[in-house]
Amino acid sequence: MNGPNRRAVLRGGAGLSALASGVLSAPAVIAQGKPFAGTTINASCFQTTFFEYLKNYFPQFEEKTGIKVAFTMQAFPVYNQRTDLELSTKGSALDVVNATFIYTGRWIGAGWLTNLDTFTKDPKMTPADWAPEDFVAGTQSAMQNAKGETFAFSWEGGAMIQAAARYDLIEKAGLAMPTTFDELIKVCEATHGKEGVAAFTADKLHHWNWIPYLMGVGGGVFKAPPENLTPTLATPQAAQSGEWYANLLMKYGPDGLLSYSDDQAMRSQMSGRANIRTQSITWMVPLAKHAESTVQKTVRYGLMPAGPAGNFSGCNSHGLGIPAGSKKKEAAWEFIKWALSKETLAMVVKDHGYPSVCRLSVINSPEFKNVLTLNGQDVASLYLEVLKLGGKSGYMKYRTVPVYPQVGDKINKAIERIATKQQAAPEALKQAQAEAIQDLQKAGIKVDS
Amino acid sequence: MAPSLAVLALITLLPALYLLATSFTQLSLTRPETQWDFSQPLESYRQLLSDSRLHNSVWVQIKLSFWTVLLQLLIGLLLALLLNMRSRLIEALRTVFLIPMVLPPIVVAIIWKVIYTPDISPMHGIFRSVGWNVPALITDPNWALTSIIIADTWEWFPFTMLMVLAALQMMPQELLDAAKVDGASPWQLTRHITLPFIRGVLLVAGLFRLIDSIKAFPLIFILTDGGPGNLTEVTNYYSYLQAFNFSFLGFSSAITVALLAATIALSWLIVRLVGWGSRVD
Amino acid sequence: MQTLAVVLALLALAPFLWLLLMSFKTNAEIFRFPPRLLFDATLANYAALWTSEFRNSFGNSLIVSVASTVLSLVIGVPAAYALSRWTGRGGGTITLWILASRMAPPIAFTIPYFLVYRHLELLDTLTGLIVIYLTFNLSLVIWMMRPFYDQLPRSLEEAAWIDGATMWQGFYRIILPLSGPGLAATAILCFLFAWNDFFFALILTRTEAMTAPVAVVNFMNYEGWEWGRIAAGGTMIMLPVLVFSFVVRRYLVHGLTGGALKG
Repeated sequence: MNGPNRRAVLRGGAGLSALASGVLSAPAVIAQGKPFAGTTINASCFQTTFFEYLKNYFPQFEEKTGIKVAFTMQAFPVYNQRTDLELSTKGSALDVVNATFIYTGRWIGAGWLTNLDTFTKDPKMTPADWAPEDFVAGTQSAMQNAKGETFAFSWEGGAMIQAAARYDLIEKAGLAMPTTFDELIKVCEATHGKEGVAAFTADKLHHWNWIPYLMGVGGGVFKAPPENLTPTLATPQAAQSGEWYANLLMKYGPDGLLSYSDDQAMRSQMSGRANIRTQSITWMVPLAKHAESTVQKTVRYGLMPAGPAGNFSGCNSHGLGIPAGSKKKEAAWEFIKWALSKETLAMVVKDHGYPSVCRLSVINSPEFKNVLTLNGQDVASLYLEVLKLGGKSGYMKYRTVPVYPQVGDKINKAIERIATKQQAAPEALKQAQAEAIQDLQKAGIKVDS
Repeated sequence: MAPSLAVLALITLLPALYLLATSFTQLSLTRPETQWDFSQPLESYRQLLSDSRLHNSVWVQIKLSFWTVLLQLLIGLLLALLLNMRSRLIEALRTVFLIPMVLPPIVVAIIWKVIYTPDISPMHGIFRSVGWNVPALITDPNWALTSIIIADTWEWFPFTMLMVLAALQMMPQELLDAAKVDGASPWQLTRHITLPFIRGVLLVAGLFRLIDSIKAFPLIFILTDGGPGNLTEVTNYYSYLQAFNFSFLGFSSAITVALLAATIALSWLIVRLVGWGSRVD
Repeated sequence: MQTLAVVLALLALAPFLWLLLMSFKTNAEIFRFPPRLLFDATLANYAALWTSEFRNSFGNSLIVSVASTVLSLVIGVPAAYALSRWTGRGGGTITLWILASRMAPPIAFTIPYFLVYRHLELLDTLTGLIVIYLTFNLSLVIWMMRPFYDQLPRSLEEAAWIDGATMWQGFYRIILPLSGPGLAATAILCFLFAWNDFFFALILTRTEAMTAPVAVVNFMNYEGWEWGRIAAGGTMIMLPVLVFSFVVRRYLVHGLTGGALKG
């Protein structure tokens, strides 16, 4: 592999670091069946239940391949920022990264991720029964470039569903799971504050949570992504929806909601402080399964409510990929191969009830249906339904444009301003629109004037 | 001697020039071809002028600097006057008061993050026990900047306190004695003798705190991330976002050059006031 | 008067003391309200930290701070001496530049260094950090030592020069041995500033070279449940600082303002 390189020389005798990259990337030590014995790879993802569950099996992986995995997790926005920065340097600090949905366009487009077809098409590296085609097409589409080459394999299908942690309160009020926006407000109005429970909760990633509500009233983020990226944030629908959503958060949400991370919002439901939430299924299933959840018996699930323009439940996917600058790509591929194999995924589903896998063979297995029958509800079909919805009209394309992180940031700030009453919705969104256009122009993208 | 100064130039002057050069490009790391593209050298600066979020950040910075410097001077002054006595206890206390200033800024940020998180905050706890239902300050638009000002003032008041104390201790006792003989009250003593004497120190301390306030980062990073909205987003923080969240390094360099120019100007002011450059023999 | 001072001191210290206390509490205890004055103190948080990657980052901080101090002294002390004995013009400009580079926002250096380090593969390395720390520590050394040398009468080395020694021989034989107290204080201040740095480490390190302040912030990103460890991490980071600051307390203000006033 690499001989002494500038980095090793410049670092001189700085102990551990030199060892890790210099020596270990030397010609592979051929041990019996463990060609990578002694290698350590650095992997990273945002904090999520899937890898917390997967960590339990790392010793098995190490036993099988000899590869040690140093896995770090950070909060979603922090992970994205740090990984984006690291990838932009084409450095080798990370060997396996999570390709976050909103960044895949950016990272693949800039050539910061490795083309994984070279691994999957090589029978020596990947046996045929690993079956890359087994992954749900909808979730894989974001992981491919225009030529159809694959740069990541999805481990999470973030299908947005609705969960009411304290469904008993809704029943007591004589109502049922809301199916439309108006019904949602009705239910919140009737149940907010009962037994000290806030009717609604959410995390602060408005650029993900709000959009289904925006689209439900006929609004959108861009005119016609990915070709026409003119933002459409200053439309009357956007203003009306922004106001509606901010009101939903502030009137029916718990105190301090605006600073909630994904995890805090989930905890607010798990501890019984809040009731309804609409988010990706990964954050919803623990309500029924997590040991610390106090709402295991009372939680019920359903599709996200639909607006007059239809049901645009958010649907995203995250995948595991290899940075272009990694010096341990083969070892990294071993990890991805193992983590996303049919056997490992089935194990995670069975032992921990993880719902958001992306392999059709696992989703269609009776085991999956079994594990995801929660309080008598068939949540597995809910999941599939949303995945199919997302693939149909491609309304999720807005999320894969390379500049979405910047535009999403403007949306976040605008909703924050509306919710804290610093600005009325029309002004706040007009400002977001202007700022988004500025950023698009900085990125060299033409917009309609 | 030349080698040592050459090293200093290499590690500070060269990078500063590189920063300047980058500000004349539209460098974005997703488009590596922009790195040496000087075709529109003033484009980043033009964007500075039309960027309302930047203008907001300058305004936030002004507010932050004004209040933190003012409060630090006031509190530092009052405490110095209080502690300007000779006693073992007071000497010991002075050392104790140093602590906020020497703590790593990130630890200060953590301390205040704890205080501002209602679930675990002693402050919120006290408020609750007297019946005040105080919402989380760092997400409240009316209190977010103030909460940062409070934390920053807590961190740096020892600085002004120490400087004033040192000056007070250099004040000739005869001045005070003479005035006391004339029947001056303690208040008059302070107002007419002490304060004028330390005016110069207050000015220098204020200037130092002013330049330092431009660097405000850990508190904002940990407590508010510039929010809610853009209420606590100072120019330095905005530049960081542009550079390391969005990879717009060309634009961020332009902002940073402006900050650097302000720093140099203020430093020049200090050098003039204190009379460095003229050798002390 | 004295009681007032004591009360104020306690009030001023309260936030810091709270964090200290928190580091010895379990998570359940931290969330309990009203907080108990007498609780079962535990060292579990510290133990957890010490067996995690935090130990590595703590070690990184140590290595970088010491190396940065040594390097800054080795380069800066001769420079301070030379500047002190400089008879040419431009001394004022150099003073201004030194002050400005110390007071400049870190991002001014982070951007160019970040761009260059990408090509030199110095990102996420201890060496990379040590070099960029020179930007503030080198100036600090010159800052602190120059007035010190200004006050040493030239007659000392002139005597050596008359005997035929070169300027540098005079420096090594006569001046350097006298620099003791100034050097000690300067060294400790260099260590402190390097130890406390957050911004450079945040941007320029990733996994291998991460320092303690950045590592603690990683715990914070789990929002809501690692408070005990966060407090313990924060306490561990501030302990060396407190100890060393106490030792050099007389020089603190001088270090921060370079002789505008003696602290």
